[in-house]
Amino acid sequence: MRRRTVRLAGLVAAAALAAAGCAAEQRAGGTGTGAAGEAAGVTGTAVRVGGVLTKTSASGYSTKDAEIGARARFERANAAGGVHGRKIEFVGAEDDNQDAAKGDAAAKKLVQRDKVFALVPVHAPNFGGAVFLEQNGVPWFGWATGPQWCGTRTGFGYNGCLAPKTGAGSQTWWGHQMADLVGGSEGKTVYVQTTDSSGSKYGGKTISQSFQAAGFTLVGLNSGLPAAAPPPDWLPYVNKIMTSDAGGPPDIVVSIIAGTKFNTGLYAVLKKAGYKGLLTDATSYDVAILKDPATARALDGVIAAPMFEPFESSAPEITQLKADVEKVAPGAELTQHLAIGYWAADIFLKVLEQTGRDLTREKFLATANGGFTYENAGFGRISYPKDHSEPNGCGALVELEGGAFKVARNMKCFANVPLK
Amino acid sequence: MAELLGYLASGLVTGAVFALMASGLTLSYSATGVFNFAHGAIGFLAALLFFELTVGFGWPSWLAGVAAIAVFSPLLGYVLHRAMFRGLAQAGETAQIVGTIGLTIALPALGLWLVELAAEPLGLPPADATSLPRGLGPYPAETFSVAGVGLDSDQLITFAFAAAAAVALWAFMRHTPYGLRMRASVDRRRLATLRGIDADASSALAWTLSSTLAGLAGVLAVVTLGLDSTAYTVMLFVSATAAVFGRLRSIPWTFAAGLGLGVVQNLVAGYADFAEDITGLRTAVPVILLFAGLILLNRSTARVAGSAAEDAPPPDHLAGLPPWRRRLPWALALAVLLGWTLTRSAGDFYVGVVAQGLVLALIFCSFVVVTGIGGMVNLAQASFAAMAALTCGWAFASGLPFPVAILLGVLGATAVGVLVALPALRLGGRVLTLATLALALLADQVLFQVDAFSNGTIGWPMPAIGLGFTDTTDPRVRVVLLLALIGLVALLVRNLERSASGRAILAVRSAPAAATTSGISAPRTKILLFALASAIAGLGGVLFATSKGSITATDLPAFAGFVWLAVVVLQGVRRIGGAVLGGLIAAVFPELLAGWGVSAHVGAILFGTGGMILARHPDGVLAQMAEARNRLLRRRPPPSPPRAEPALRDAPAAEPGDGFRMEGVVAGYGDVTVLRGVDLAVRPGEIVALLGANGAGKSTTCAVAAGDLPVRAGRVLLGGQDVTRWPAHRRARAGILLAPEGRGVFPGLTVEENLRTWLPDPEPVYERLPRLAERRGLPAGALSGGEQQLLTLAPALVRPPRVLIADEPSLGLAPLVAEQVLALFAELREHGVALLLVEEKATSALELADTVAFMSLGTITWTGPRAAVDGERLTTAYLGVTRR
Repeated sequence: MRRRTVRLAGLVAAAALAAAGCAAEQRAGGTGTGAAGEAAGVTGTAVRVGGVLTKTSASGYSTKDAEIGARARFERANAAGGVHGRKIEFVGAEDDNQDAAKGDAAAKKLVQRDKVFALVPVHAPNFGGAVFLEQNGVPWFGWATGPQWCGTRTGFGYNGCLAPKTGAGSQTWWGHQMADLVGGSEGKTVYVQTTDSSGSKYGGKTISQSFQAAGFTLVGLNSGLPAAAPPPDWLPYVNKIMTSDAGGPPDIVVSIIAGTKFNTGLYAVLKKAGYKGLLTDATSYDVAILKDPATARALDGVIAAPMFEPFESSAPEITQLKADVEKVAPGAELTQHLAIGYWAADIFLKVLEQTGRDLTREKFLATANGGFTYENAGFGRISYPKDHSEPNGCGALVELEGGAFKVARNMKCFANVPLK
Repeated sequence: MAELLGYLASGLVTGAVFALMASGLTLSYSATGVFNFAHGAIGFLAALLFFELTVGFGWPSWLAGVAAIAVFSPLLGYVLHRAMFRGLAQAGETAQIVGTIGLTIALPALGLWLVELAAEPLGLPPADATSLPRGLGPYPAETFSVAGVGLDSDQLITFAFAAAAAVALWAFMRHTPYGLRMRASVDRRRLATLRGIDADASSALAWTLSSTLAGLAGVLAVVTLGLDSTAYTVMLFVSATAAVFGRLRSIPWTFAAGLGLGVVQNLVAGYADFAEDITGLRTAVPVILLFAGLILLNRSTARVAGSAAEDAPPPDHLAGLPPWRRRLPWALALAVLLGWTLTRSAGDFYVGVVAQGLVLALIFCSFVVVTGIGGMVNLAQASFAAMAALTCGWAFASGLPFPVAILLGVLGATAVGVLVALPALRLGGRVLTLATLALALLADQVLFQVDAFSNGTIGWPMPAIGLGFTDTTDPRVRVVLLLALIGLVALLVRNLERSASGRAILAVRSAPAAATTSGISAPRTKILLFALASAIAGLGGVLFATSKGSITATDLPAFAGFVWLAVVVLQGVRRIGGAVLGGLIAAVFPELLAGWGVSAHVGAILFGTGGMILARHPDGVLAQMAEARNRLLRRRPPPSPPRAEPALRDAPAAEPGDGFRMEGVVAGYGDVTVLRGVDLAVRPGEIVALLGANGAGKSTTCAVAAGDLPVRAGRVLLGGQDVTRWPAHRRARAGILLAPEGRGVFPGLTVEENLRTWLPDPEPVYERLPRLAERRGLPAGALSGGEQQLLTLAPALVRPPRVLIADEPSLGLAPLVAEQVLALFAELREHGVALLLVEEKATSALELADTVAFMSLGTITWTGPRAAVDGERLTTAYLGVTRR
């Protein structure tokens, strides 16, 4: 008796499901009805935009400075009279707490409630609103670190898509810039350290390939580090590095680990073990490090690899950036996230300008995806739709020396190679 | 070789932190029965304070260390004890688990919020990924080389502190009266209070100590972990593994297991290269060990599980209402919701929020099945939802029709649910909870990292569900569809509760042993529930994915499941209504907060604080509302207990102010009244034998006399002083000693320690009873029954109480030993002790007694001198006939 009741209920549920799913169809890529067609977020005198950032998160990671960068760039545009007579109405950025569902809700809120025209800047490593924005044809600009950006027609990474699929173009600038820095890659070895997560492993793959394309010999690609928290003990990992090049240490160690905490830990133990080669990573270009003398010392000599022209550069674009930031946020620290917000806004304005006075989302996307190319010393160059599926291939190197950053290599672009 | 030595040495350092963390966990669990999931969060708060004091205020690290570890952490432990843990210890297992998980969410958020608020005015550094905390030692750390193994000063300090803390803890527990009282409370809590030990004070001490250990571990770990609250939660889970290997009882074993875990982690990192191909496997080593430990060490944990408080369902305050009236508020709400939804546009943001809330509500319905009905706590519900969604996405992407893919997803989640439940279910509540926790972490760290399953970080695209004329890209359609599905689940739950299997389930829940003897298979019933709940969570997960349009491995992290549980239990986990309310609140509330410009931390604090409310009202908000309504409507006068006619008195009443008296005592358990007006007096130097048939209320009289059971009416007097409202430990200190039925010894403590719970110096006992002296180092549980009874009564010889109450003292003893025990009583009478001997059989006790009292049906039917007792009186007493 009791079994029958349960089984019956189960059957009813299954039948309801089957009925619901019978007419199921895939609608990905189709435009949503209503909001997309009209000139949403556009009036005769203004274009409304807002962003999604990871301002706070359980891990402490924060990209909130991107809001300052974007605001600084928009303020300059507004001070110059706006774009085709329209001022940029920047409603600020939502916080997604590094939670995909919250990112999705934030995107919907901006589009449906706040009626924005586009999302600028989007800088959240776990952004969950991609499908909604793509379906509704809403443009979004930011840092395309995740695959949700790639292959879309609405997601514009300021330096292209950084998560290309196998077969698509993958960057080689890091390897080439390092080779130029050390005077050639001939006979030099490199070891790549990542964490034990599929995202970090993917990064390890592309970056190993970048160094190999530049002529380095890869002697190790280790992804043993626990992903959630720094290992309490670095010794096992350092032992592997110190013996990777035929029993000796490699010439270059590349760290694909997010977080200064991870990197200082690894570098300190490496140096303790007598490592004399070069250390390079993507995250150590961070002023917070300079404020702490001991960390600055631990990271001394590290080559950081930012994907924008360093703030120490004498390029006029950078001088302009500093002046813009000083206007909206006097004394604000110049960070990686600030630069990303700034350049994402810059590219958005460029597309807006090229679209012309008659502005709808459809027209905007048609302009952006119809052979749009833009070069700027700040981030190299960008061209869509090509860079919807591969990175722009540009980057710079910065060295931390004696408690200060100095430009090691200026922003330069290199040809991509297909990702294996 | 040097490499191996290095791994061992630095593994021991890491292990020392785990060991400290785990010792605190074991200490508080064994002393109070509450498994504190928030232990890591306490460590995080201490570390946060330490960081702000050193880096923000520039205090020297030793001073900041003292402030964070020796001042702040113990204080936090004490405050939490007062505010929450004390209440939780009496609450059911579900409330305990959810309450501490709520703290895990609320405490770090509270700390970070305070720092956020204080950062501007005080110029404090922000506590995020950019912060660079330092350790207790010199900064930067100095490096030493010991026997070819390089260690830095932070590592040496960590190890030294851990070792010192271990020794101090051991000495405290073994060699101080506080430690002895705490261990006695752990061993037999009730008996400890009868010996004058304030169990509540012991608990407070245990929480204070445990919190200090967490704080110490937190500050020591901050150098490597940074200020990342999730890292601390992960560290807690690793430490839980060590605690499980210490069987949640033994602190030395826990400590050793913690050290071992550090070494194992290092060896795996150093040598297990073969595991590299499976992403996350090496990270997950502690979790795998946790799972293995739970299953292998089940025997010891079964006892622990059995000691848990039962979750009795709350009274149904709406039972008197007709069905239509009960459903009316819900029907009205539903109509309003539908009406509102259908008048909005397709692109309306708030309809989308409501639809999202209903998706969560559907997932939350699975908590109603597994926790509300089944009484089990599942921490892996988010993982089940993610598993079903990913399976569905994978199946659809490989070309299967969407309905089949959905079915596969739901079945997949169900199958995994059964697989987890099978080994763990028989082991009791907390073990199952920990096993689901292990599964959730394993899924996050290993299964969802398999690219073929989760399609890397991009995940799977999910189509909308089409209904012919419309599809679910329209949030209004989602609202209607979800309401229909939730209705279906509600029907299912109702049928389940009313069916034979439902009654079987409830039987299993309220009395597992009884259910088993009546032929109901507890594990089978529970597995059924578990499977059903997994299926509902799976279905919810699929709908979550379709409404989002894609599913990735990180969309539904394990941690989300904890928050969900807190939210749904707070609304009331026994009914679908609670789940629906919980889902809507979880979706709408953060939107409201963001709209008001309130920090996201505040939301986390509020959700987490639900745990504290739970400690007081374990049945959630809905039950609270029903109760409030009930109180408003019916102010019934409290039922006045039936007062029995005063018993016949053949003997003169003892003068007030002398010895021990009970006057008109009415008492009982729950709704049952056992004592219906008991009058009894025992004078100093007098032995009163209380006789009566089984069930007459003798043991209840003992419990009331000792303060173990509250009195509903009447008075208890000691030496003329009214002690009716005194708790047991206070009465014991005033001189009322109860030797309870069975043996009044702490089986886990040694003979010597047993004596010390009542005597500062046990030497005189050894002089009197050399047999005990020979066995002073043995655990009391290893003694024979007679020796245990002697051990129970011996302390009274040396330090005679004012009143000794012995419940069935000669039960199950050999005649020779029984004689010895009676001789002890005679001796105590000489010392002027008032003795109350309770016996079922009128045997030897009768010979010794000065006065005899007969008890029947909760009243004293006759009292008189022994000489007046004859065969006839005995017969009438036992047959319960009152002689007029």
